Amino acid sequence: MWRDIWFLATRTLLMTFRKRSTLILYFGLPIAGIVATFLLYGSVGTTELRVGVVNEDSGQRIAEDTVGFVKNLDHVSIVHVSRNELKEQLAANKLDSGLIIDSGFSESVLSGSPDHIAIESVKGAQVTGYMKSMLRGYIDNVAAMGKIAGGDGTTFQQIYDQYRSSAFKLTSESVNDTSLAKQMSYQSIGFLLLFMLNSAASLAELMLKHRENRTYYRILSSPINAKTYVLANIAVNAVVMLAQIVIALFFMKVVFHMDPGISVFEMFALLAIFAVVSISLSLVIIAFSKSSGMAGALQNLIIVPTCLLSGCFFPLSIMPETLRRVSDFLPQSWVLQSIEKLQEGATFGSIGFHLSILLAFAVVFFLIATYKFGRNNDTRNFV
Amino acid sequence: MNILDIRGLTKKFGDFVAVDNMSLTIREGEIFGFLGANGAGKSTTINMISSLLRPTSGEIRILEKDIAKQSRFAKTNLGIVPQDLAIYEDMTAYENVSFFAGLYGLRGDKLKERAEEALEFVGLSDKAKSFPKNFSGGMKRRLNIACAIAHKPKLIIMDEPTVGIDPQSRNYILTSVRKLNESGCTIIYTSHYMEEVEEICSRIAIVDHGKIIAEGTKEQLKSTITDVKDIRIELKSVQGTEGELLKPVPGVRTVLQEENVIRVHSDAAVDNLNRILKQLMDAGKEIRSVEEQEPNLETVFLTLTGRNLRD
Ligand SMILES: Nc1ncnc2c1ncn2[C@@H]1O[C@H](COP(=O)(O)OP(=O)(O)O)[C@@H](O)[C@H]1O
Ligand SMILES: [Mg+2]
Repeated sequence: MWRDIWFLATRTLLMTFRKRSTLILYFGLPIAGIVATFLLYGSVGTTELRVGVVNEDSGQRIAEDTVGFVKNLDHVSIVHVSRNELKEQLAANKLDSGLIIDSGFSESVLSGSPDHIAIESVKGAQVTGYMKSMLRGYIDNVAAMGKIAGGDGTTFQQIYDQYRSSAFKLTSESVNDTSLAKQMSYQSIGFLLLFMLNSAASLAELMLKHRENRTYYRILSSPINAKTYVLANIAVNAVVMLAQIVIALFFMKVVFHMDPGISVFEMFALLAIFAVVSISLSLVIIAFSKSSGMAGALQNLIIVPTCLLSGCFFPLSIMPETLRRVSDFLPQSWVLQSIEKLQEGATFGSIGFHLSILLAFAVVFFLIATYKFGRNNDTRNFV
Repeated sequence: MNILDIRGLTKKFGDFVAVDNMSLTIREGEIFGFLGANGAGKSTTINMISSLLRPTSGEIRILEKDIAKQSRFAKTNLGIVPQDLAIYEDMTAYENVSFFAGLYGLRGDKLKERAEEALEFVGLSDKAKSFPKNFSGGMKRRLNIACAIAHKPKLIIMDEPTVGIDPQSRNYILTSVRKLNESGCTIIYTSHYMEEVEEICSRIAIVDHGKIIAEGTKEQLKSTITDVKDIRIELKSVQGTEGELLKPVPGVRTVLQEENVIRVHSDAAVDNLNRILKQLMDAGKEIRSVEEQEPNLETVFLTLTGRNLRD
């Protein structure tokens, strides 16, 4: 049986990829996706992060200093706005991010447990991540001083003054560039997910075509059985998608020098799990399609819309809350969330929940497909 | 040895019985003709023999082994030339043959040799590197055959291999069938073309409504209908009312019309030619020629089913 699978899979690969158009479809497009993101983000790469500041704790020294700290960060420019203005300008893309300081913020820092501060953004964690982490460091330090001073105003003042004089001289290294690269790679992966799903569906379509040109029946009348045939095609699918992943990561890392902020191995492992999900989805498409035309229609109906809803093309945060909740039912979104988490510094082990959700998707799809195949009263009934 | 043994084979599609309790035995070395009108159940039977369809009931043995239990053995010894072309348009002729032969476990030099041999056999050697999408209908049919014989099966089943092709390709295919048979293959040849079956088959089964209604050599089949004569009358023009005209004539069984020829099947024992002709002339028909034909398979089919094979 393994010999048969090997024979079928290698022949199918050779047959499929002798045509330049399929090479472009399966490998050219993912690369084009990366180039596109590179061009898209490359042009905004040098611009600053525009932060709208809403300070409702005004007059308080710590609040003022916090704003000053952000203002002094590299590649950050600030404007003071009201809450409503912030909302509008974020939506209109006039601002990248907003810093909201509620009244009571300075008080809370002084007491040692910072609160009443929030960062808003429509561009996803990559944009605000840098500002957030710098800000957290700053506020934590000040809060620690508050604790040390134990509520004693003058002691705090002393420590704080000392800190200020040195803190403001700290210039961050160009962390902003990394965050941009992170966002670029996030976006490239979004496109890659789309192309992986599409190529899985195309291979499903190919199997249905073989049923239509009757070669499938000729195969079944040879010693090869339906199971071997399906396994061989799954193998082909897996090889194609692993190649897509490797090529995409190669272009991201080596050609365009994007730093995804995640180790290549973690990225590969995550995407390989997604490949399994794609394959099982393609089996569902085969099970429910009566013709290759119908598979094509299903592919169009399912893949692009779900990619859109799960944030493959732009970050979810700009979407209304209800749509965002839909994304929880889409595997792509769990991959993207995992990437965000890993970019924020989570370990691969700590996103186990996300990974098991992805595997659950694969298992469910697979079960649906096998159930439907069974109901079709075995594939041989389609003569 | 019996190469194929079918017992009580039945296939139902819902309530429709496509193959009805069919039994058949084919010995090694035969060219066996499977003759029947469209929809008689020939392809359905073949699909069951090639394990593509599961029988509703009944048993099929190839080389005395049950195909349900030893499907690999059965499939290895079987070569199927399907009714509908089953070739990859985007692979060359050679690649097609070598792919399908490879499914039977052939590899390397042996695979290459067998694939080339099969192409040579169907006369497509010079087209080995061409793509079937540029082939004529006849060439595609021949490639369809090559794909089924490269693994040297003992039993080759051809399902209407000559449908819709030019006479030259048809002759080529009929010659190939004989050559295959001479080289030791048993062949089941399915067709609704009488002349082909009559020309090459050593034994014939006539299938109708999923049942075998007659079986034997050509001579045996024809001898069953010595009581029927087949009169062929060419008229200047045919209105289609001739059947009604001739039905009352004693002895007349069926009247068929092919263009401006009417064919009358009648009891051989009744001397009624004069009355038939008179009936036509009285109706003002202009007779061009009259001929009494030797019974052929078509007569047999007509007599048994009351229908023309081509209907
Ligand atoms: N999969 C199927 N489902 C329902 N009816 C079928 C199916 N396959 C064949 N039939 C019917 O069975 C009958 C026999 O068909 P077939 O075996 O193809 O005839 P033949 O090959 O002798 O022309 C036809 O009436 C056909 O419509
Ligand atoms: Mg048929």
